[in-house]
Amino acid sequence: MSCELCLSCRDIERYLGEDESRVHALRGVSLDLESGTIHAVVGPSGCGKSTLLYILGLLDEPDGGSVTIKSEPVSHLADDELARRRNELIGFIFQFHFLMEDFSAHENVMIPMRRLGQLTEADMRDRSAALLEAVDLGDKLDRLSRHLSGGEQQRVAIARALANDPQVILADEPTGNLDTRNSQRAFELLANLVREQQKALLLVTHNRFIADACDWTHEMKDGRIIEARASR
Amino acid sequence: MTASFYVGLRFATHRKRALLLSLVGVVFGVAIFICTQAQTQGFAQYFIDSTIGTNGALVLHGRFRPHYGVLLIPSKSASRDYFEGINNANEIMRVSRQFSEVVSCSPVLRGTVSARAGFENAPVDLYGINPELHLRTTDLAKELIDGDLNDFRNNTSSLIVGYRLADALGVAPGDTLQLLSPSGEYWRFTVAATARSGVGSIDGSRVYSHAPVAQTLLNKPFNASMIIYKLLDPDRAPALAARFDNLFQHSTESWQEREESTLQLFLMLRLSTAVTVSLIILLAGFGIFNVLTMSVLSKVREIAILRSMGYRRSDISAIFLWQGALIAAVGSLLGCLLGAAMTWGVSQIPIRIRGLLYANHFLVIWDWRHYFWATLLAMVAIFIASYVPARRAAQLPPVATLRGSSV
Repeated sequence: MSCELCLSCRDIERYLGEDESRVHALRGVSLDLESGTIHAVVGPSGCGKSTLLYILGLLDEPDGGSVTIKSEPVSHLADDELARRRNELIGFIFQFHFLMEDFSAHENVMIPMRRLGQLTEADMRDRSAALLEAVDLGDKLDRLSRHLSGGEQQRVAIARALANDPQVILADEPTGNLDTRNSQRAFELLANLVREQQKALLLVTHNRFIADACDWTHEMKDGRIIEARASR
Repeated sequence: MTASFYVGLRFATHRKRALLLSLVGVVFGVAIFICTQAQTQGFAQYFIDSTIGTNGALVLHGRFRPHYGVLLIPSKSASRDYFEGINNANEIMRVSRQFSEVVSCSPVLRGTVSARAGFENAPVDLYGINPELHLRTTDLAKELIDGDLNDFRNNTSSLIVGYRLADALGVAPGDTLQLLSPSGEYWRFTVAATARSGVGSIDGSRVYSHAPVAQTLLNKPFNASMIIYKLLDPDRAPALAARFDNLFQHSTESWQEREESTLQLFLMLRLSTAVTVSLIILLAGFGIFNVLTMSVLSKVREIAILRSMGYRRSDISAIFLWQGALIAAVGSLLGCLLGAAMTWGVSQIPIRIRGLLYANHFLVIWDWRHYFWATLLAMVAIFIASYVPARRAAQLPPVATLRGSSV
């Protein structure tokens, strides 16, 4: 396992809401993700798991603390620069897949590649086909995503997250909407890809079995990581 | 193909009905704009061509009265007094021909007399002309609808009569027409031909005779009361009029000045039509605004997904602006084609006009500028209509959407 630091955050503070409804969502959270490792964040609803994920994914700004990607501080960057890094370095997977319903599996996987703009149309199609093949959807490339089953949609979302060969994959309850069999399958697929391609995976989950299968489990409560333990 | 263009295209084609409705508004707005402009300007251009063809692009008449320096107390009005008639018409014409803008010129002795044929009487505007010079300077030869031009050329006691006047007096080529001189004598002429300029006021009063005959009949001491000019570029008539004013010290009037009131009427008609039709395009713009706003509202989740994948705010804006651009481009293109078809169709509609103008069908003009302005208007309206929803889409916070959809 490589120990290269992909993503880290230090002393993250985040408040949500305003005035009387203001909540201290994250209280000095620090975390390090190395390439080739899988981290799980567990904890009760409302403890700040998703908030942490969005801050690490550069979708939300912290009120305090810093985020570093590949040793480069990114917290101060302008919105366009954050978007560029998100496109190049981070892959997102959401609980509800969040696919473009009217786009085919192929088109969904090609969306991040189009923004990156480094491949020709043919190369994008080839890469998209290879990624969908890797998640066992080689025979459903041109099927509209709304016509795919829940498990298949989540696999398309995994392929899409890997489209630009990101260093970090952030998954917000990626198996939360799947049955046990599909959950296990999606996780194994993701875990294999991460380990083979030396990426870092941080996933938020309520599934204790999946959390136990990760390299690290970070337990959160009231906006803090109260315990970080290595699973093996 | 950029990412924003691709996504914008796909979003647009998913909402086919909304896209079609937006397109229909733009297509009809552009088409009707083109068609109405072609019509209103068609009538105006016909009038301009007719008046220039008959009365010339420039007319030089009365000589300015000298000011005598300090003796004259300046009047409040800026207008200058002048004497009727041109004493040295040949010299003025010789000098004016040196100007490259001047194609040809013709001296005219003009006067108002009364005409009688049988029991019918009518006031006429008598133009004493030199046939050769006048035919070179005006479209008189083309305007003849009955009779023979040579009969007029070869017979100094013959006349060319405006067709409406001829109708009113009940005369035709070969008939006799009497003109009453200022001294109270009736002169007998033969109608050699009738002419139709297309302008009602000219056709209802104009009579052409030979200049020497007119001079005697009108009892004028000069042989020309005005000089009519044909110009290479009639649009430059005002500038040349100002130069001739100074050079010859004669009042010189461009066709734009001469026909100012009628031209303003046409301009007002054209502008009022343009404003009315622009409202259609504006309404189409409102439709597009609504369609795109609904599209933004229905794509909030997709926008958040795109943002999570690294699409910038400007990319999100561009997605919706591209949709507007697509509607504008396709709508304008189809609108121009439909506008051309409608213009052709309207030009085939029979209509009997016998007042200000003479026409048997709708008059239209084919001008690329109508298509340019209609397209530009559509583009601007659609850009404004697209900009607000596009900007709104760019400002949507992705986290709120993603968080709202998660458990």
